[in-house]
This record gives sequence, C-alpha cells and structure tokens, in this order.
Amino acid sequence: MTTTAAHVSNARPLQESGEIRLVDVAKQFGNTYAVQNINLTIPHGSYCCLLGPSGCGKTTILRMIAGHETPSSGEIYIGKDMVVGKAPVERGTAMMFQSYALFPHLSILDNVAFYLKMRNVGKEERRQKALEMLQRVQLDHLKDRMPAQLSGGQQQRVALARSLITNPKVLLLDEPLSALDEFLRLRMRGELKSLQDELGITFVHVTHTQPEAIALADMVVVMDTGRIDQADTANVIFNKPKTPYVARFMGGQNVLTGTVESNSGGVFKLKSADGSTFEAKAGDETASAGSKLSVSVRRDHVALRRGDGTTEVNSIAGVVDATEYQGSYVKVTINTAGGVFVANVSDRAYFAEPVDTGDKVVASWSTEDVHILSKADTGVAGDPYLDGGH
Amino acid sequence: MAASSPSYGPRPWTFYVLAALFALFVIFLYGPMIAVLILSFQGPSASLVFPLRDPSLMWFDELFNPRRTGDVVGAFNRSLPLAVGVMLLTVLISVTAGFAFRRRFKGATAIFYTAIASLIVPGLVLSIGILVTFRYLGWPASWYTSALGAHLSWALPFGLLIMFAILGRLSPSYEEAAYDLGASKWQTVKEVVVPIVFPGMIAVALFGFTLSYDEFPRSWLTVGSKNTLPLEIWTMTTNVTSPALYALGTVTTIVSFLVIALALSSIILIQRKRSRGK
Repeated sequence: MTTTAAHVSNARPLQESGEIRLVDVAKQFGNTYAVQNINLTIPHGSYCCLLGPSGCGKTTILRMIAGHETPSSGEIYIGKDMVVGKAPVERGTAMMFQSYALFPHLSILDNVAFYLKMRNVGKEERRQKALEMLQRVQLDHLKDRMPAQLSGGQQQRVALARSLITNPKVLLLDEPLSALDEFLRLRMRGELKSLQDELGITFVHVTHTQPEAIALADMVVVMDTGRIDQADTANVIFNKPKTPYVARFMGGQNVLTGTVESNSGGVFKLKSADGSTFEAKAGDETASAGSKLSVSVRRDHVALRRGDGTTEVNSIAGVVDATEYQGSYVKVTINTAGGVFVANVSDRAYFAEPVDTGDKVVASWSTEDVHILSKADTGVAGDPYLDGGH
Repeated sequence: MAASSPSYGPRPWTFYVLAALFALFVIFLYGPMIAVLILSFQGPSASLVFPLRDPSLMWFDELFNPRRTGDVVGAFNRSLPLAVGVMLLTVLISVTAGFAFRRRFKGATAIFYTAIASLIVPGLVLSIGILVTFRYLGWPASWYTSALGAHLSWALPFGLLIMFAILGRLSPSYEEAAYDLGASKWQTVKEVVVPIVFPGMIAVALFGFTLSYDEFPRSWLTVGSKNTLPLEIWTMTTNVTSPALYALGTVTTIVSFLVIALALSSIILIQRKRSRGK
C-alpha cells in the first residue's frame, strides 16, 4: 500500500541565493527620513527579525525589500541581483501582510491559486497546485470556504500558502503574529520557525515584540528612529547590547552610568553621580579617566538584601517601589538616587527573605556580570524605554 | 405562592412618544402611495377620490391603449433608456474617478468640490441654463443629449460620494498583495478591486437609475419636444382627470421597486456568497 504525499517542488538552483544586502539605503517621505544609512546583510536561509518600536522604520525596510516602497537612495541586492525598481515576483520575494490581505471575494483555494492565475496557468492545473499547497499547511479541507469564515490562525496559514506558491527566495512577514491572541501567537510562532527550517529560505520578520524576536531569529536587527542600532544573534543582543537604547529596549537589563576613576589591570573603576561605585572588565574598550561610561547588568544577575546604604563596590542602595510576582521569579523595582533599578529575584531566594514596598534594600552583583556599552548613556529625555518595563 | 417575576423596569415615556412619532412618519411616507395604489383600481365611475367603487383594471388598460391620455408608453420608452444610460455613465465615471482620487493628485480637493457643487444649484435653474446654452450653440434639445447631461449633473455627485466612501475603506494592502503575487495593474483592477467594490457599484447604479427615472426639474426644459415619464405625469395632472393618473403612478412605482429589489438582492447574494462560501 503506497500513499504518495503530494509535494510542491521547492527545488531551486543553489546559485539563486536568498541573501539580502542593503547598501546605504535611505527612504525619505517629504522632508523627513523614515530610515537612513541602512547597511545590512541578511545571510541566505536565515530567520531575521527586524525589531523596534512603532515608527522606527522597520516596516519601511521590509517594504523596500519587498518592492512596495522604492528607496530614495542606496541599493538593495537579493542574491546577486540589484532589485531596486523590480517587481516583487522578479525579485523572488513574497510578502505576508499584517492583516493577511486575503481577497474577500475568492475562496481559499482561489486565493492560493491567485499567483498562478495571474500567470495564465489553466484552471485545473492551478487549482491542483493550490490544493497541494493547502495540504502543506493542513487546510485542504477548508478549500471552498471564504476568508471571512476562517479563524485568525487559519487565515494566516492561507496567507502563508498564498505567498509560498510563488516559490520565493525570501519570505517577508509584516507583524505576522500581531493579529492573533496569545495562545495562537505562541503556536504560530513555532510553526513559522519550523516552516523556515523546512524550506530553508530567508525569512524577514518585522515585530515590536522582544520575546518573539529572541525566540525566532537567527539574526535580530534592533532599530531606533530610522537607524539600525545593533544586528546580531539573539543571544548577543540580549546579553551584550551595544547601546543603552538596545539594553533598555530588549528589557532585562539595568543601565548604569559612571565616571571612569581608574583603569588598572583591564578593570575600569567607575563612580556614579550618586556615589555608588562599580567595576567593569574592559574588553577592547578604552576609556580615559574622567570620561563617562555606561554599563549594563542583567536584572537576573542581581542579588538583593535588606540594608540601609552601601559602600561596597558593585552595589546600589535604594527603597523598594514595587514587587511583581512572575511565577518563577519576582520583579523588584527599586528607587535609587540614580534612578530606577530592577532586580529579578528567583522565587526561592525572594520568599526566603521577602521585601515589600518601602523597604530599604541593597542590590549587588559581581564584576563578571557587568557589560560595557559602546556609548555613554545620555538619553533620558524622550527615551520611552527608560523604565525598561518589559 | 408563585415567586414574583423579576422586574427590569418599565419602558420610559419617551419610548412611546418616539414610537408614535415614528408611526406617523411611516404613515406620512407610505400613506399617499397606498392611497394612489388603491385608487388606481377605481371603477367606471372615474371618481378621483375615495371611496373605491366597482374595482377594475380599466385604467391600466387606458394607460397602455390610450384614448384620452397622452403618450405614456412613449414616455416610458424614453425614460427607461435615459435612466439606464445615466446609470451606466454614473457607474463608469464614479468608479474611474474614485480610482483617480485614491492617489491624491494635485487639485483633487478643488475638483471634488466642483463636482459636488452641482448638487446645490437649483434643478430648474440648471435646466434653463442648459437650454439657453444649447439654443446659443444651435443644438436641438433632446432627452438623449441635453437631458442626459442634466441628469448626470444630479446623479454623478451622489455616485462620486458613494464611491469615495467605498474606495476610502478599501485597504491598499489588497492591491499590494495582488502586485506581490505578480498581477499587472489591469489584472489588479479586474481581479481584485472591482470584485471587492462590486456591491458599492450596484449601489451607485441604483442611485443613478432612480435619480434619473424620477427627475422632474432637470428634465423640464432639457428633454426637447418629447416628454419623459415624470413630465408626462405632470402633464396628465393638468389635462387628464381620470384614475389613469393613479394607474400610471402605480406602474412607475412598481418599476422603481423592481429596480431597487433587483439591486439589493444582488448585493445580498454577493455578500452571502462571501460569508458562507459557495
């Protein structure tokens, strides 16, 4: 007994690489730049997340790669081809829209077959191929339904099938999970990741949700207003943020700023404005005495004890502002002389010695857990992520 | 002892006032129409007022085989193609203009207000203006030239307003998705945009048809020597003093209702197909 599963051939010559290269790309709307000085290489076959708050230009970049927006200057390459000015199908890209944009007047099957219809493929043949694609996303039993009759998750799969039938080198996803509820979001997140593994094509995924980016991406690109702040693996972005902005935006970090007092044996000694002192191991960073330096300390690498003031190195004193139970840990927000400091204390440690709002505490950490940021923290004004409330 | 039923509070007095007001409104709206409908079945007494005596269809017969009335059939044969022509042109122009306005070109607002302004100009004045202009240019006025233009000045602004509202709600991502899937501009219009806005196009068609079919002031001086239906009815009210007038009212109302029913049912059919599947 043999059952031959119908498979849509995705075979593609190796030289047709899905590497995306943006060179000095800028996009101007009127007098303002949506994005500027964008230089980015997304390797073939990687899952890349463009991450940033709304209005940072991440969607503009996606739309320029897709061919729905023309850059004001700069070059975009997909594989070896310069694609600026080319139609999406010529680029080998396919885009999945935020609201999926399924055509409301066409059945699921005809939605998926749309690309083939545009290429004048006969009715029987295109419906057969569309059905195979629907089988792939396990929706072939719904082929005659209309989009309005499907749930959000099903609509998303149809949108995926409709995009994939173009056999793209690059799949572009514009906030694909934002229209789903929490439960479905986590499930579809897993499905997207395994789909990308299976297809081996480049995925570029725009999101404003940090956990989504960290969970999915081989490469996370963190964006600030129109610029790329850092592009690296999720692990590096989370543990070794380059700038105070990235540290705050990714969450999970405390940013401390101090004046360099000395640099001995590769260890910077810093003194903050409120008098607390801390140390940081210098990598290839250089900083002369008297200059400002910002460092980050992960919230979960902080120990907490009761205490009124501290003179120790690598510690900061303050008053508990709020505690928030998170299940496996407790988020303790502390008001210090230098600003808000957050410690994520494991539930075991916390309940051994609970602290409450108004208690005087000292937070401390070890020098190994201090990471030096590439620029001194200046942005207090206008930085909505200063509280790092994620 | 039975448990007392829960009380959700009496209806406020305003409910009864508003209900009475609404009932009056409905009577005012449909009462005259129903009166005309009933009296069109008047018997040979030829009385123009109630009561209805010896109901018959004789006045309908009089309408289609005129002995005393005017050229009703001829008027209908002009009004119908005129209304259909206005309908088709309104749809064509409104839809294409809607597409143009979607791209926010320079001067769009000025052109929009110019088009809408013709709604404010009194119909009779417009009618006189068109007649005078045609005379000056030495063109004869007729239902398929000057009256067609006059009717368009009335139906088009409505069509434009409806189409703008519909295209304004149409998400540009449908067009982008079509482009993304390799559709040409023309394919996008034909396969995506037009099917999606089709119910709206029917609404525009309906407006175009009924506004022209019922139009009196803009027809008055522009139809030339031969009357359209509303003008024929007007003439009859002054010459013909028989229930044939009512019969005509009934027939034209039925035609209007048929057109509306046709339009609405096709919209409902399309929407049902979209929400329930084929």
